[in-house]
Amino acid sequence: MAEIETQNVSFSYSEAGDVLRSVSLQIRRGEFVALIGQNGSGKTTLAKHLLGLLRPREGKVVIQGDDIRSKAVGEIARRVGYVFQNPDHQIFSATTREEIAYGPQNLQLQEAEIVDRTKHAMDRFNLTAHSERQPATLSHGIRRKVALASIYAMDPRIWILDEPTGGLDWRSTQETMALLHELNEAGKTIVLITHDMQIVAEHTERCIVMSEGQVVAHEATRTVMERSETLGITPPQAWKLGSALDLHPPPLTVEAFCRNYGEKLAAGRGISVGRS
Amino acid sequence: MSVAPDFYLAGPSWLHAADPRAKLLLLVLTVVLLLVFQNLWVMLAAWLLMLIVHRSAGVPKERIVFLLRALLPVTILMPLIWVIFYPAGEVIISIGFIDIHGESLAEGLTVALRIQAMTFAIFALLFTTDTDTLMQGLVRLKMPYSWGLMLSLALRYVPNFANSYSSVQQAQQARGLEYESTRGLKRVREMMPVLVPMIIGSFRSSEQMAIALEARGFGAPGVQRTYLNVIHMRAMDWAIVTVGLLAAVALLVLNIVYGFGSDLISIFP
Amino acid sequence: MTIAIQDFSYAYPDGDWALRDLNLHIEQGEFLSIMGANGAGKSTLCLALNGIVPQATGGRIRGNVTVNELNTKRHPVATFSKQVGIVFQNPDSQLFSVSVEAEVAFGLENLGTPRDEMQERVDWALDLLKIEPLRYRSPSQLSGGERQRLAIASVLAMAPQILVLDEPSSNLDPSGKVELLTALHDLKNSAGLTIVMAEHDSELIAELSDRIAVLEDGRLARLEAPESLFSDVAGMHALGLGVPQVSEVAACLNQEHGTDLSLIRYQDAYQSMKHLN
Repeated sequence: MAEIETQNVSFSYSEAGDVLRSVSLQIRRGEFVALIGQNGSGKTTLAKHLLGLLRPREGKVVIQGDDIRSKAVGEIARRVGYVFQNPDHQIFSATTREEIAYGPQNLQLQEAEIVDRTKHAMDRFNLTAHSERQPATLSHGIRRKVALASIYAMDPRIWILDEPTGGLDWRSTQETMALLHELNEAGKTIVLITHDMQIVAEHTERCIVMSEGQVVAHEATRTVMERSETLGITPPQAWKLGSALDLHPPPLTVEAFCRNYGEKLAAGRGISVGRS
Repeated sequence: MSVAPDFYLAGPSWLHAADPRAKLLLLVLTVVLLLVFQNLWVMLAAWLLMLIVHRSAGVPKERIVFLLRALLPVTILMPLIWVIFYPAGEVIISIGFIDIHGESLAEGLTVALRIQAMTFAIFALLFTTDTDTLMQGLVRLKMPYSWGLMLSLALRYVPNFANSYSSVQQAQQARGLEYESTRGLKRVREMMPVLVPMIIGSFRSSEQMAIALEARGFGAPGVQRTYLNVIHMRAMDWAIVTVGLLAAVALLVLNIVYGFGSDLISIFP
Repeated sequence: MTIAIQDFSYAYPDGDWALRDLNLHIEQGEFLSIMGANGAGKSTLCLALNGIVPQATGGRIRGNVTVNELNTKRHPVATFSKQVGIVFQNPDSQLFSVSVEAEVAFGLENLGTPRDEMQERVDWALDLLKIEPLRYRSPSQLSGGERQRLAIASVLAMAPQILVLDEPSSNLDPSGKVELLTALHDLKNSAGLTIVMAEHDSELIAELSDRIAVLEDGRLARLEAPESLFSDVAGMHALGLGVPQVSEVAACLNQEHGTDLSLIRYQDAYQSMKHLN
């Protein structure tokens, strides 16, 4: 049974035409998959269907074996965590602690559990020092963490993140990706919407590529990179360079490039590879 | 997915081409006349005239229907209020134990038609004049430019505000937001998770906008602001103004001196 | 035409020092990028270049910023807007008009530019940023990349000598970034325009910059050419900043396999390395 499944989902915002055209896909439990495509390809629209924020005109969405058609968004939110791009779209509380507790409260957990989860989330994201401060007044980087923490406290089995690293500095990007790996290792299914092909290559195992409302590829990341030209995506520099220099297979990461190219260099020099 | 920033829909009609100042004058005269006249049949004629103006300006049927539908509650409510709370005149229909008095019905209908006609008059202006041109017209009529900018920015940001509402609503739904009440204070409290981020967002946006405006030379001291597309009163515009004024004066004279349209039912008492 | 920043410190009202003891001289015609972690002071520095900091923002200030001999504390912001144009991160907060043409004219109208000159400058800016075909469109109908180019055109129409961009690629998708890069390349080659760009995208920075200023906690931590800065991968990571992937490749190869590579741009990387086999 797939963790996430869509069956022939079609959707349009207006009479202007379908934004999703009979989209069918399956994502297995525990996958770490990237959802990529140009602006307007339908990736965010599709992602919102997975939480029930949007309902298909045709077709169905099945989460963990259940057709979510009849379920309220609040109910689906127990299983699917959706982290929006802009943390300022959700921050409203007087203190960071209340902000993070909001989600668990809506899940109607026991008081003790809410306190526990909130504390755990604040610890995980280093927000304990800001616990009683008003989140709206904190820096942008911290607000992003608060938004992540508030979904973390709801402990969903599926995480969907819409461009979590757009506009973030390098270190914060690394921290965010480390979080996602941690979650994935704990068994969570991760769907990452992003434009950053370097992140896709370095961190995800599979890619769903969308174009004009349809899924045009749903394969291992490596395969998607190989088809990058037909799919209209630009692979990261290491891949492009590796391909141009005839490295086989082309490297998804800097380390892989270094290793493969190093071997090539060594072979060229006629000595064995290894540190001197 | 964006909504047009104003109600303006471009077109080749006479009303589109008219100077905004001429249109503003016509609007003011129309509103004054609508307030002065009390007669049901005059109001009906005015209402029909407004529809004709819209069609002659090429306003698509969908938009007219949209306005009519939006005004429907008012159109039904007004006669209802008058019939129920201000019964007057002879009973013309009896439905069960409810008596509908003729005069009050006429009164209510007159009020409803007046509101409709005024709405159509205002939208005749808004549908055929883009915001920048309208603001320039007001500024040339000596309104301070900053007021005009405030107004046009407010209009321009309506779709942003609507998008903000939808984005925030979705973000909070993702955290389990559900509305239990449908109205009243309780509902407002439930909407705090949506209202607060929207308000904070508005403050942030306006701060950024203020900085961006300064960076574009807004408020340069001692500078007379110029315009790229300057509006001119052409012969046609003066003709519109003249005809409008003459008609308005004539109608007012008829009303004040001869009582034309001052009585509810009979045109010339 | 230069900007001189001398011993400059600035704190927002109720805030800590956002910029500390900055000393920086921005040369005419150069393309200077500013890097730094979120909160390091990049945006504040951008705003200090035309007087918005401190005049519109208040707070505490020490030292001076002089633009063409004019001190940013002592002349109205509108004066500087003729010399320093700023393009902000979020297009939505800086687009005010109902059409592309009107938007480009907006700044000129505010400065009381005579009509004929205005029309010329508007046409020139639309052409320069290749958005002439969009002249009568509403900004809400434009893509992210087009909106960014519109914002740049609106600022350039005022004919500043210095163009400042605050994280211009943040809200753009890959195709928008390509449009931005092309536009900035073209602008760089225009006579005399000095460009200051605050950015995270190291690959974009590598393509365009003559020098890079790195801010850390409001201080100037490094000021170097891209070749030199991006070779120090470890140093950049320690500052919490990234480098172009080819630079990481070079560093890795240099360390592990004894090569002596300095790579910052893809094209150069390929050229340099195809000989090594």
